[in-house]
Amino acid sequence: MPPFPFQEDHEMIREAVKGWLSDWEDGGKTLHRVAKEGQGFDRAAWEGFARDQGMAGISIPEQYGGADMGLLGRTVIMEETGYTLFSAPFFSTCVLAADMIEAFASEDDKTDLLGKIASGDIIISVLDGREKLSLKDSKLNGTLSPATDAAHADLILVAAKDENNDVVLTGYSPNTAGLSVTPYASLDPTRSQAKVSFENVALSDGQAIGKANDVAFSQILQIAHGSLAAECVGGGQRCLDMTLDYTNQRVQFGRQIGSFQSVKHKCADMFIALESARSASYFAASPDLDNDHSAKFEAALIAKNYASEAFFKIAGDAIQMHGGIGFTWEYPLHYFFKRARGNRALFTSSEDGFQMLADEIGLKSHASAISGE
Amino acid sequence: MSIREELNQWMLDNLTGEFEKIRWRGGPGDEDSSPELRRAWEQKFGEAGWIGLQWPKEYGGRDLSLMDFVEFNEEYARHGGPGRAGHIGETLMAPTILAYGTEAQKERFLPGIKNGSELWCQGYSEPNAGSDLSNIKTKARLEGNHWVIDGQKIWTSLAHESDWIFVIARAEEGTKGRDGLVFLLVELDQPGIDIRPIHQISGTAEFNEVYFTEAKAEASNIIGEVGEGWKIAMALLGFERGASTLGQQMMFQNELNLIIKTANENGRADDPSLRRRIAEAHAGLKVMRFNALRMLNGTQDGSTSKEGYISKIFWATWHRDLGELAMDVIGADAEIIEDELSPLQKLFLFSRADTIYAGTNQIQRNIIAERALGMPKEPRGNTNG
Repeated sequence: MPPFPFQEDHEMIREAVKGWLSDWEDGGKTLHRVAKEGQGFDRAAWEGFARDQGMAGISIPEQYGGADMGLLGRTVIMEETGYTLFSAPFFSTCVLAADMIEAFASEDDKTDLLGKIASGDIIISVLDGREKLSLKDSKLNGTLSPATDAAHADLILVAAKDENNDVVLTGYSPNTAGLSVTPYASLDPTRSQAKVSFENVALSDGQAIGKANDVAFSQILQIAHGSLAAECVGGGQRCLDMTLDYTNQRVQFGRQIGSFQSVKHKCADMFIALESARSASYFAASPDLDNDHSAKFEAALIAKNYASEAFFKIAGDAIQMHGGIGFTWEYPLHYFFKRARGNRALFTSSEDGFQMLADEIGLKSHASAISGE
Repeated sequence: MSIREELNQWMLDNLTGEFEKIRWRGGPGDEDSSPELRRAWEQKFGEAGWIGLQWPKEYGGRDLSLMDFVEFNEEYARHGGPGRAGHIGETLMAPTILAYGTEAQKERFLPGIKNGSELWCQGYSEPNAGSDLSNIKTKARLEGNHWVIDGQKIWTSLAHESDWIFVIARAEEGTKGRDGLVFLLVELDQPGIDIRPIHQISGTAEFNEVYFTEAKAEASNIIGEVGEGWKIAMALLGFERGASTLGQQMMFQNELNLIIKTANENGRADDPSLRRRIAEAHAGLKVMRFNALRMLNGTQDGSTSKEGYISKIFWATWHRDLGELAMDVIGADAEIIEDELSPLQKLFLFSRADTIYAGTNQIQRNIIAERALGMPKEPRGNTNG
């Protein structure tokens, strides 16, 4: 019986993805290679995963060429990509961009772009420039950083606010005049980061994807961010598995260190954090919420922030439980620790996320009183 | 009509008049409030057929599905249904009798639970058998038609309001630990039993000490065989992690709502650090609900699913933290007692017990490490004695 709330077909996907990613990972060797290459991106693997395995279209609706497996489908994939730190733009392209396009694009653009996403033929990086970009006289100016997966994107989907405070979504080729993409080394070497500058970039030089009300845009954005919870759960599970293996093997004072209560209690705490993060993740992906947009938004806020905090705690504890070896570059635990820190800070930080949740549950602040609530 | 609608109507019609006084009352930390009224409520509830819904039809139940029972519990809590005087009987004793009792025991004991006329309490802990529960010293010996019981139980919730107690006792001289125990059903109203309330941190007294001096139970009032006491006692605890946890969460939600209301009224809703803690408490409660749904959906064969092991420590720690948060939201004013402890003051004090009873957080971590994670067992000392 598949674990609640999944169905049989989700579990089949999970088994397939798990096996494929385990081959990719090659016992940790691949992460070292990706880190050495310095791009945080394994293009050949991405093409194999997205095109040949057909995983890019997991939650794209059937009419656009996807498998239509919804939030639970992508949850399965992101748990497994988190477990192996698969260095590829699944989240940027197949979650974030796909959700934006599905919510705000015209039918023609959906057919075109969602179709390309589903077939694995496009990489899209989504940049939220609502705060930092200026949009005047139909021209964009400003710099966005860190821009995840922009360094190798075929299309940069950027959000900016116009004079009416509406959100304008535009898609640009990286070769557009005035637009420059500068790759950065990332603290997390398994993730791709860049700086993207806009210098008098004309709206008319890009593909107009759509306009959105600011609140509606935020909600879609946060619902997409909620799927990162699954990556955190996968990564957290890996850290716990490695810790249990290690504490079971390592002998000090004539005993396996896993038999000491101080070590057991720490592992128990990691398990509690992991399983509750898993609940947060599954809750946000639960089909029960499908028809209730604001419940889905709140659940996504909870999932992303709760799970990224849990992952960071688990990864930090895992290093501690490994002792000196956890501190080495050779041992791959540090990649998970770095991914965990990134997930807390990127795509809305935990601090901002919890403050948004506080608004959502009716805590009145001066800030919301001023904005006219 | 769904079970939720059915109960909704009944609660609207019946949680009225004198019973208004016990709406939202009688939960943990508040179990000493209006005991007589709550006993009357239990009977009214039972007579309306609301007790034992999950039991098989042949024993008067409705064979209610798990998810329906979850809905039922949530609906009850949503109305502020009073803490149930009969909850130990319904959620612990009855499932144990159904699983391990004889036909005669089912006939004797289930109706009293079902109609709310017989209330139960739990005789497990002893002064030297807390976390190390199998270190039981209370003795039971069979004399003619009766078990004769000597010893002491402690931390017995609601003993002074109850009619019956189930007791683990040592029946075989010279045995240690889990061997030689019996699980007995003992009537409280008898000369051999003395109940003394324990005055707690909260100033109230829900817990008791129960002294047995040649107390008697009929020979037939044993569940299982001599030597099976431990097995039965543990099976009973398994029933504790049930659907009632979701009803309990509605009560937690009510407490959290009160904290949010307080913060909005006194302006502390503006403090970013308190805002974050309140938001985290809200997230924790949603997580707790989904933990429970996962656990309930994963345990239909009766065993504990791996994630089920986090249930107790998660809610207990969350609730204790909520008590501290409540005090911080109220601020210095929380030092003042007007007439009696306010609900949030009670929450703060009583929730210190949550991480101690029914397996301390430390014991829970041992259980998680050894059973859910399969880590090596702690070497055991030889301290029984």
